[in-house]
Amino acid sequence: MDKKKHKISQFLAHFRGWIQAVATILTNIHLPNFFKGEIYRGDAKTVCVPGLNCYSCPAATGACPIGAFQAVIGSSKFKFSYYITGFFILIGVLLGRFVCGFLCPFGWFQELLHKIPFKKFSTKKLKSLRYIKYGVLLIFVILLPLLVTNSLGMGNPFFCKYLCPQGVLEGAIPLSIANASIRAALGKLFTWKFGILITFVILSLMFYRPFCKWICPLGAIYALCNKVSFLQMKVDEDKCVSCGKCERACKMDVDVTKHPNHTECIRCGMCIKECPTEAIHYQYGFGTDKTNLKENKGE
Amino acid sequence: MKKLTVMLLIAAMVLGVSACGNSANKENTATESQMSTQEAEDLDAKINELTQKENSILENHKALWEKVFNSIDKSTVKDATATNYGDFLANSLDKIKDKFTDDELKSLKEDVEEIKKLEDELQPLLEKQSANASNKDSGKEGASVFPEFKAKDLDGNDVDSSIISKNAVTVLNFWFNGCSPCVQELPELNKLNEELKEKGGQVIGINTDSLDGNEDGIAEAKSILEKQGAKYTNLSLDSNSEAGKYATSIMAFPTTIVLDRNGNIIGEPIMGGIDNDESYKQLMKTIDQILAADKN
Repeated sequence: MDKKKHKISQFLAHFRGWIQAVATILTNIHLPNFFKGEIYRGDAKTVCVPGLNCYSCPAATGACPIGAFQAVIGSSKFKFSYYITGFFILIGVLLGRFVCGFLCPFGWFQELLHKIPFKKFSTKKLKSLRYIKYGVLLIFVILLPLLVTNSLGMGNPFFCKYLCPQGVLEGAIPLSIANASIRAALGKLFTWKFGILITFVILSLMFYRPFCKWICPLGAIYALCNKVSFLQMKVDEDKCVSCGKCERACKMDVDVTKHPNHTECIRCGMCIKECPTEAIHYQYGFGTDKTNLKENKGE
Repeated sequence: MKKLTVMLLIAAMVLGVSACGNSANKENTATESQMSTQEAEDLDAKINELTQKENSILENHKALWEKVFNSIDKSTVKDATATNYGDFLANSLDKIKDKFTDDELKSLKEDVEEIKKLEDELQPLLEKQSANASNKDSGKEGASVFPEFKAKDLDGNDVDSSIISKNAVTVLNFWFNGCSPCVQELPELNKLNEELKEKGGQVIGINTDSLDGNEDGIAEAKSILEKQGAKYTNLSLDSNSEAGKYATSIMAFPTTIVLDRNGNIIGEPIMGGIDNDESYKQLMKTIDQILAADKN
């Protein structure tokens, strides 16, 4: 049982790049739409995808959960989106920030950029910036769409409209290339958000996943779920030799042995790969504490 | 593992490059059609040049040629464009050759020969030009006529395409109830409708929540229109009709298109609210253009 678990953990950690590629393709399955300059608008668009993936990407399979959430609470009919909140809790409990590490297209995009040779910087000293994303979630995703409304009670999706670089990358840029009317509609807002995208492209060359660490409201939601998620990180204290390699390997600046289920852990498994004694692995199911490992074996 | 990441990177790059390649292709096709306009321009220039040459030849013996022109029976002028212009001149000259001295006749005949040569060059070019022009027209019309429709306004009254032909210009605005930029621009559209009324134009709204007579959608649309003070006609289309399909194929709201009296869609659809300076200017330009054309 234990061995099998390790095998799965090693497999996931080693083939993460491929899983990210497949997840990105599945999230954006309607590839011919890139050339038509049209958005897929079938029934699947009523369902959310787990990662941050713009609804207006021509190829998008489903809706962006953050976009959908704002659209609903910003509408004049509803003040709260039960469906999307339920979706957040469901995915949060089932996977937590595993979504960030394995399924999110924008996370993968930043990782690919980070592979480009450039001077790399650590984000260890910038830990306080992590809290920005909770502010973005509260203010741009919840409060502003809910409270800043016109006379008919209609709000705007503030995060999508003013901040989200994924929308520019997947929506505005491909659509405006293929569609003359969309190109004609580009204005100041596009310039502003294009600037945000460029900023995060450059930051991604220097830092590992800057948007995920500091800004992403979806990451913030999944981060809060990390501790209660079925998917957990386990450190086998009997095997651990306290070499500290895992902490050094972690690009999300998590002290793995102390906080294996830290809010910042995106379950990428770099620590699993690095651990010389294979003491770290994923565990799925009703979590038990790392101290009573013996009971775990009974699962 | 390194290999793997390298391969992944390469795959991503190839994907990226191929995507770029494709967009480059797109531009190529765009420039291709521009090439043909470039060719058309060259053609026009060449035709111009040849015609000028002919004119300068005639100019050389202006007084003599004027005699010829004055003698020409106006009813035969049609032939001038149908046949080689040189032949036409020769014929005309033949009819009144008694009125000229031999020297004069000789120089005029030389002129005719030169013009005949130029005409031989010019004729195929002119044919090419007119073929090109008719192609362009047919392509334009086929692609951009708003389909005829039978619909109801939001109060249930029958409305059909004749409403378009009754007005020199029609601004069609597509919107839906939950679209805040659409709702935002309704007062502006109403103002535009009032202005256009005087000029023989109108604004018509097409609300995609009210398709197929959807009662809830219509009720909500009506209350929004009332709150925003929009009094112009709004339509509930049948989603299976051609016009309905046009409405449901729109993916960016609001979208505004401008029709002339014959239902031709003039200019590119305007995406996004017209309550922004640039879009408004573009819209007014199109409207003025249609109104000017309608007067002719």
